[in-house]
Amino acid sequence: MSYLRSFTAGIPRRRFLELGLKGGAVLVAAPSMLSCVKAGRRAEPLQVERATLDRVLRKALERGGDFADVYAENRVSRRILMEESKFKSAVFGASRGAGVRVIAGDKTGFAYTDEISEAALLRAAETASAIARSGAAVEPVPVREEKRPSFITVKVPLGEVADEKRLEIMKRADEAALSYDPRIRMASIDYYDEVRGRVVATSEGLYLSDELPLIFFIVQTLGAGDTQSHMGRERLSRHSGIEVFDEVTPEDVARACARESIAMLEAQDAPAGRMDVVMQNGWGGVLVHEAVGHPLEADNIARKTGVFVGKMGQKVATPVFTMVDDGTLPNFRGTTDFDDEGTPMRRNVLIEEGVLVKYMTDVLSAKQLGMERTGNGRRESFRYLPIPRMTNTFIEKGQDDPADILASTPSGIYVQSLSGGSVNPTTGVFNFTCREAYLIENGKKTAPVRGATLIGSCLDVISNIDAVGRDLDFGPGICGKGQEAEVTAGQPTVRIRGINVGGARARRG
Amino acid sequence: MDIKQTAERYVAECLKKGADAAEVYVESGRRLSVRVRNGEIETVQEASSHGAGFRVFVKGAMAFASSNDLSDKTCREAIDRAVAFARITTADPSNVLPGDTGIGDAGPLYDPEIARVSMDRKVGLALKAEELALKDARITLSGGAGYGEGEGEIALANSHGLLKSYRASNCSFSVSVVAAAGEERSSGGESCGRRFFTDLKPVEEVAGRAARKAWEMLGARSVKTQKAAVVFSPDVAYALLGGILGAVNGERVLQKASFLAGRIGEKIGSGLLTLVDDGLRPKGPASAPFDGEGVPQQTRTIVEAGVLRGYMYNTIVAARAGVKSTGNASRGGFTSLPGIGPHNFFMAAGTSKADDIVRATKRGLLVREVTGYGINPVSGHFSGGAAGFWIENGKIAHPVRGLTIAATAAAMLEGIDMVGDDLDLDRGIAAPTFRVAEMQIGGE
Repeated sequence: MSYLRSFTAGIPRRRFLELGLKGGAVLVAAPSMLSCVKAGRRAEPLQVERATLDRVLRKALERGGDFADVYAENRVSRRILMEESKFKSAVFGASRGAGVRVIAGDKTGFAYTDEISEAALLRAAETASAIARSGAAVEPVPVREEKRPSFITVKVPLGEVADEKRLEIMKRADEAALSYDPRIRMASIDYYDEVRGRVVATSEGLYLSDELPLIFFIVQTLGAGDTQSHMGRERLSRHSGIEVFDEVTPEDVARACARESIAMLEAQDAPAGRMDVVMQNGWGGVLVHEAVGHPLEADNIARKTGVFVGKMGQKVATPVFTMVDDGTLPNFRGTTDFDDEGTPMRRNVLIEEGVLVKYMTDVLSAKQLGMERTGNGRRESFRYLPIPRMTNTFIEKGQDDPADILASTPSGIYVQSLSGGSVNPTTGVFNFTCREAYLIENGKKTAPVRGATLIGSCLDVISNIDAVGRDLDFGPGICGKGQEAEVTAGQPTVRIRGINVGGARARRG
Repeated sequence: MDIKQTAERYVAECLKKGADAAEVYVESGRRLSVRVRNGEIETVQEASSHGAGFRVFVKGAMAFASSNDLSDKTCREAIDRAVAFARITTADPSNVLPGDTGIGDAGPLYDPEIARVSMDRKVGLALKAEELALKDARITLSGGAGYGEGEGEIALANSHGLLKSYRASNCSFSVSVVAAAGEERSSGGESCGRRFFTDLKPVEEVAGRAARKAWEMLGARSVKTQKAAVVFSPDVAYALLGGILGAVNGERVLQKASFLAGRIGEKIGSGLLTLVDDGLRPKGPASAPFDGEGVPQQTRTIVEAGVLRGYMYNTIVAARAGVKSTGNASRGGFTSLPGIGPHNFFMAAGTSKADDIVRATKRGLLVREVTGYGINPVSGHFSGGAAGFWIENGKIAHPVRGLTIAATAAAMLEGIDMVGDDLDLDRGIAAPTFRVAEMQIGGE
């Protein structure tokens, strides 16, 4: 948050972000906004008196309106950075506050406060209610506590983990990366964890609270060859206790990263032009997250600006293509127990065997479109309004053997991993940058290529996916849409026919 | 609340709690954001907030804690946490804080009038922008318009006696619209941000540009894959400059994770290429009297007529490199440690008219939009998606979309053979129209 430099642009483009080295090509503020507890102790659970919430919600709807909610949050985070085998910095953050929202027709008023006191909440409610001048109001229902099933299990809570344990995890990753190959010159290990306590109360009488842990572990390695250098990157993120590192070890993450750094040292320029692309399972699902997922967020539909406006029930993709957003996958980075408006998380099939069957909604867009709430109302923090966002989004697994998909593709590009990309939700034009890609020659993965950009339009790409593998896998990411959200993207190995690839050399032959 | 006093008081508290050196950064401000659509207000968001970041050094090791609650109890707890954290990081003789070397003259940055302008006038600006942009018959849909403003104060104190503060403001409005022809849709948007309300561009100009950007791309098609000249318009300056910024980051250079490492004094680009980092331009969006750790901002030439002249440093990285801070400590707010970043960073204007650059191009691409990460600062390789206009025999032939462009950064920088005079310094990162003699273009 900076008051002094933020000139807003207002051009709607969604972007996937990767955390980069400080000052790198991708500048992303660390997920910060933190709050204060005594060293080593757990955060005090966030509590707001229910009677207070009733008074605040009543205040919010005093001048009119159809819906009001209060979202209070307490976030405690730790970030430790190891570079050049030194623990360079440690950043502790504590942040708490609450946002009050009023919806009146299609209008939304919103205000937030850093202080969770009745006086401050009433002031925020007053400010947020300025939008509603109709006078007609719904009577808020007194809030009652509800329980929701949890999709997140924790064995060793982050608040009970000694810092030494975090350092040990980082050291193990550093050593594994540097010992992978002498050409690995440097490793950067970025460890982040947080505990976010939430309270959601609405004028419909809902009161929910929970506490979500999150780990985000990023390894980057610099490989240096005779003529070129490559920075590799590998990430691990779960809503989980520290036990996630027993399942996926720090060495696993570091070696995967080092492998990419070394493999890409031999890279040649990618060819340019239209060709077939085979995308390996996992994080490559970010392509459909951008190209298809964002246009399926219902705020675009309500505003009639998305490429899927008016296409409900129509065939938009090949029959092998089924796409799902599922906020209930156990401990996944995009999972929560309920969204930030209190709607339960669930599995939402968006496109079923090529047919568009569902949009992802929040409270407002569901109301505007007369559709059900799907559990996609999310917010970066109490400082932001909830908007429709994805959770864990993926192409459902298909029937094909991944090896056959490659073998039956005579030539093209094999994309092992993508960095990230963006989409214009109005035109559906997307672009992606490949992290690690190879030529396909005679059905085989051959030379690594650098600088390959994939570009196309949403509807073209999903009508050109002609093979879907059985090997569904996922990767964690940060999704940006004016505010950040924790997500995962996933897919099995897929083939896309005739996509435009942007390399630096003309195609041979 | 006097946040300067708050900063100073907590520096003393850090030392009392066991820090050998400390810095406290306090930020306080307010924001307003209004969105309108189809002639109606869609959202109004308002808030004021504040917070503090505590950076402490214990026996040469560094740690940081932040809090958005400035109560004494919570701040003391944050400092305890920072001091405890500094016991686990690695000591380094370069972990130092700057002394007070004064401030740079950035001129006035704060416009008290913004707060006095009525809400109706602010909302009216967004409504008018939308109304005007929708007037064009080719425009079929509003993507919404908005007005935003923010103002705040930053105070910085450290245990070397540094104590300074400044206030700054900004305001902006934007509009985006959609043009349609048959099934085809094309979006266009434009925004204008300034530190002073009266410096905002006329609403007609911003609305007109948004509409034009949407309709002029209708009928876009692809072209054959080929090598040709690429003309970059000022809207896509970041495509070239972003990667260079990553590569002149002093920490990247030290780590040899930069294609420009070890090349000071060498020719890295065409003689027409001059890049300046100006921390003091009057009313500049990134101007300030001092950087994120209190070092005066300055104006520096990074590339002079194609020759690399300098990198960017904050205090710690400068100490490691054996040089002085260049006043480029960047701060993403009170929650983060100082990094390294530019101020108003731009490519110096040339002498050509933008139209003449197109006229002088036999065959090529005029780029209006570039997507992707720009130049990779490590490998020095550029690849991205592109949209704009195709140039044939010095004339705009038709709009193009869905193309890719790629080259090595070296080839791009050396290939700059025309630079326009149309530099707009009110963007934080800016370039005039410029042409790269040849790049690989991917299409049909």
